[in-house]
Amino acid sequence: MKRIEVKLSLPVVAPLLDVIRQLADGLGQKLAAPQDFGDIDQEFRDAWVGDLLNGQSKDVKALLALFDDEFFAEGIVAFDEDNAEPIVRACAAVRLRLREVYLKGLDDDALEGGEVELEQMSEAMRKAFMCYLFLATVQELIIQHLDSSIIES
Amino acid sequence: MTKAGTKDSSPTETLSRTEVKLGGVWRVVVLNDPVNLMSYVMMVFKKIFGFNETVARRHMLEVHEQGRSVVWSGLREKAEAYVYTLQQWHLTAVVELDETH
Repeated sequence: MKRIEVKLSLPVVAPLLDVIRQLADGLGQKLAAPQDFGDIDQEFRDAWVGDLLNGQSKDVKALLALFDDEFFAEGIVAFDEDNAEPIVRACAAVRLRLREVYLKGLDDDALEGGEVELEQMSEAMRKAFMCYLFLATVQELIIQHLDSSIIES
Repeated sequence: MTKAGTKDSSPTETLSRTEVKLGGVWRVVVLNDPVNLMSYVMMVFKKIFGFNETVARRHMLEVHEQGRSVVWSGLREKAEAYVYTLQQWHLTAVVELDETH
């Protein structure tokens, strides 16, 4: 089984986890991305959203499970063929919530291009933006090393 | 997850006249968002639709530059299944009737 281990800087990443956990909690009740369900009837729509929320919760648990005792002892997180897919999806979900909750004030072009003035941000917004970048880095790592496992699974 | 096999162009199912007459042709449209990474969107397209690198990139760039891309068309039931799968990956996707048919 293909597996990658990444050593993270504990002093940098640990403070971001509170923000990630707080947003992750909300993902049990709310879809990360707004969706237009068109003319689908209510009963079907409820079932549809319920299934999406269920999957979203499971993915987020896989992301949070990365930050276990080993992470706090050694700063190491491990990605493999089993957790890569839920984690890469959970990162997308939390990044969407970060955008919605903390980074709404940034325009799309600035966010897409990463051209933001960190000095002009509030402490909370700066921390959220660091989470946003951190989760993008996790996604890039997984896509770079494990995308074939995900695509073929 | 559903895979449609590697394609050299956008997948459009060959539908019988009866099927089209009864249900019409439905499009799966992916809409742009400023959050998801280009590499992530390409990976999702490859996984769900079986696109090769070139086709996945073309659709991703269409979404990025034009705000939307039609990634599949065919029967409504299957279109809805694709939309559900795209939503599992947190892409914004809708089903719309192809009125040209």
